[in-house]
Amino acid sequence: MTEDGAVIKVEGVSRWFGSVVAVSDVSFDIGPGITGLLGPNGAGKTTLLRMMTGLAAVSAGTVTMFGQPVRHNPPLYRRIGVMSEHETVYGFMKGREFVRMLARLRGVTDLEPAVDRAIELVDLADAQHRPMGTYSRGMRQRMRLAGTLVHDPEVLILDEPLNGADPRQRVHFKELLLQLALAGRTIVLSSHILEEVEELADTVLLIVNGKLAASGGFRAIRAALNQRPYHVRILCDAPRRLAAAVVGLESVDAVHADPDGAIIVLSRNVLDLQVELPRLAKAQQIRLRRVEPLDDSLESVFGYLVEGGG
Amino acid sequence: MGAVYFLTLRQLGSRPRLLVLAMLSAIPVFMVLMMLRGNTAPSVSSFENFILAGVLTGSIMPLMVLAITAPAFANELEDRTLANLTLAPIARSRIVVPKLLAAVTVSAPFVAVSAFLTGEFAYLGDLRATLAVTGGAIIGVALYAVVFLFFGLLSTQAIGLGLLYIVIWEGFLAGFVSGVRLLSIRYYATALMHGLDPRRFAGEDQVGFGMALGVTVVVFGGFLYLAIRRLRRMDVP
Amino acid sequence: MSAPAPTRATTGTVFDIGYQPYTGAREGRGSGRRAVFKDGLRISLGLGRGPRAKVLPWFFIALLASIGLVMALVAGAVERLGGPGSAAEANLPSHSDFYGIASIILFLFAAVVAPELLCRDRREGTISLYLVRPVTGSDYVLARWLAFLAVMLVAAWLPQFILLLGLAAGDPSPTTYMAAHWLDIPKFLLAGIAMAVYATTLALLASSFTTRRAYASVFLVGLFVITAPFTIGLASEIGGKAGQWISMFNLTNIPVHVNDLIFGKVSEITSEAPARELGGTVLVAWYFAWTIVPMVVLWGRYRRLTP
Repeated sequence: MTEDGAVIKVEGVSRWFGSVVAVSDVSFDIGPGITGLLGPNGAGKTTLLRMMTGLAAVSAGTVTMFGQPVRHNPPLYRRIGVMSEHETVYGFMKGREFVRMLARLRGVTDLEPAVDRAIELVDLADAQHRPMGTYSRGMRQRMRLAGTLVHDPEVLILDEPLNGADPRQRVHFKELLLQLALAGRTIVLSSHILEEVEELADTVLLIVNGKLAASGGFRAIRAALNQRPYHVRILCDAPRRLAAAVVGLESVDAVHADPDGAIIVLSRNVLDLQVELPRLAKAQQIRLRRVEPLDDSLESVFGYLVEGGG
Repeated sequence: MGAVYFLTLRQLGSRPRLLVLAMLSAIPVFMVLMMLRGNTAPSVSSFENFILAGVLTGSIMPLMVLAITAPAFANELEDRTLANLTLAPIARSRIVVPKLLAAVTVSAPFVAVSAFLTGEFAYLGDLRATLAVTGGAIIGVALYAVVFLFFGLLSTQAIGLGLLYIVIWEGFLAGFVSGVRLLSIRYYATALMHGLDPRRFAGEDQVGFGMALGVTVVVFGGFLYLAIRRLRRMDVP
Repeated sequence: MSAPAPTRATTGTVFDIGYQPYTGAREGRGSGRRAVFKDGLRISLGLGRGPRAKVLPWFFIALLASIGLVMALVAGAVERLGGPGSAAEANLPSHSDFYGIASIILFLFAAVVAPELLCRDRREGTISLYLVRPVTGSDYVLARWLAFLAVMLVAAWLPQFILLLGLAAGDPSPTTYMAAHWLDIPKFLLAGIAMAVYATTLALLASSFTTRRAYASVFLVGLFVITAPFTIGLASEIGGKAGQWISMFNLTNIPVHVNDLIFGKVSEITSEAPARELGGTVLVAWYFAWTIVPMVVLWGRYRRLTP
């Protein structure tokens, strides 16, 4: 870890393939905890992850981990666990053999207990003696995860790790990641499943068209999107009357009525709205039944940034 | 290194493949037996040119080695499993060398047995000649293996490149253009056979034993270096 | 009192997210076949893919064309140096010899490029995408066969046309030359078809047995490269009728014998093949056996495929 607490430092990184720029001048630091890497298809997430793991060269910039360059530095892999999005298993190998091989390659000395632990973590003890060619997709994914964890790495880089996982496995996997994060691991997780990233990640990195569109907590990112008013849905017993009153508030940009009787208030200053709205409702003797933000979610942040960046 | 070596042995040493290797390696033996059975036995030089230089070192050996060695990396690249190895905290040479050793382990015994039996029958039990043929063949396997291993890292079209090399360079050009023989593994293998037993292949090879030995070391070391360098620099899928 | 069981919603809402159903024409099986054919052409020539995919196919086509060019240039040079008629007197290789000379390169081309058309789809599972369309397994393999045949015909015919143009241009009277040799055109076209059909069928058949392009390629080259010396050696040792039949198993010579029959002239590569003694009918029947049977097997491997 560097002095500023960053485990992974990406500085001015770009990657181009001929005339196609896949990643453009991206810089960020990642510390312990879970960081979600998001972006639409073709945004450059996988290219960025591959550069962060040293599997691909950078065209410009530097990637360091624990203060050391990642590329051409094999000893660093003792501290890193990487799971790519592709199913990189040997169909002829049994699950346990595969994990044992990876453990051996990564220098694990106490092999069998480490392999047992890793396989237990992914709940595949019953299937470990079968060839992986007979596994379902989810099982192959889990065994790959076991192989990624077997050497107890400090940094985990996971590209779409939940592909093919059923709901129970997702829950189990989320709990596992949270445990690892609490234990001080640095985890970078790339996923399309926004709800899960929202649940797991302390920090989010949004990549759009090869550029870093936003980074940080998603609520902080949302707050920083000044040009986009918040949408707040209000259910009350006199929607039209409330709408007429609310439109006069300084903190409100616009109001429209939903066909189902709710009103949608657009506001760039929800802090003031939170104070003004109840006062107004009381003054007008209108009962407020429900007040909910509609875009206080990672999905909406993602949508705004992707639309804006696309 | 052991993990990579045994993994590669499993990848390359499947039963159908070994069966095909066995059948291919039987061909020169069968041919020499048929030749000896004939009423007019062929001259030693026609046997050496046709069977040893043409069939064994010119066709069968390079095809066998190509079929085994090029997929050592090419299949991993195609299946995207190479990252399992390159994401290990080991030097790239400790991936390339065991892959090469495993490929040679699978192909060399078949070539060696084929060369030994072919030489044994053709030279009527002359052990020195037989061992010269076997030794030259094994060194030929090592040279072809390191070249094709490099091709496998260079491109998923490694087999195409290798076949072009075997058929056009070794099979056609080396036979007609004497300059090309200075860059032909087949001719180095036969030059080494001649060097190990100077009574044999007399006057056939263009390259002296000393030069053949030196070039063997340079070619082997050079392509091994190129393969390691390629693995270090390439983007691994 | 227990809570009432949740009831299934009786209303629903469709949100307009911009999805527009396709309202255009829906073409049928013929269109599907044409699409697979065009795709096969593109795969064979590396079109629509990166530069590396184009290297090998275009290298082979260029190599074959250059052989035709070299033959024409040599004939022209001999004619120029030796005077009119000297090229004919020198009995230089011409149209009838081309396929014998170039056969190994044509087979190598088929061995290296043909597996791209079949192996990859089975390996990556994309063949299912074809089969859920109005395209059957038979349509798929026929379209792929026709596509590669078209490419092989270009590879086989282009050098012959270059040679023809070169020989005509090298003659003092090109029009007289063409008038005297116009029959060479249908002959080399027909011989080219024989070569192309043979190489295409065997190459695709081998490819249909494996999902790895590499193994199909090595198997094919091994088959062609190894049967030649093996059968030559064995045939000369055994001799007689048995030797002639063993010579028939020299797979590189099978279409070249047909070429010889078409031109009525034995080419260099088959001049010493004992198989010639068996006569034209046997040679042609053997050729058809080695194209029709593999074709049927190839079709059989694909016709029952389902997505």
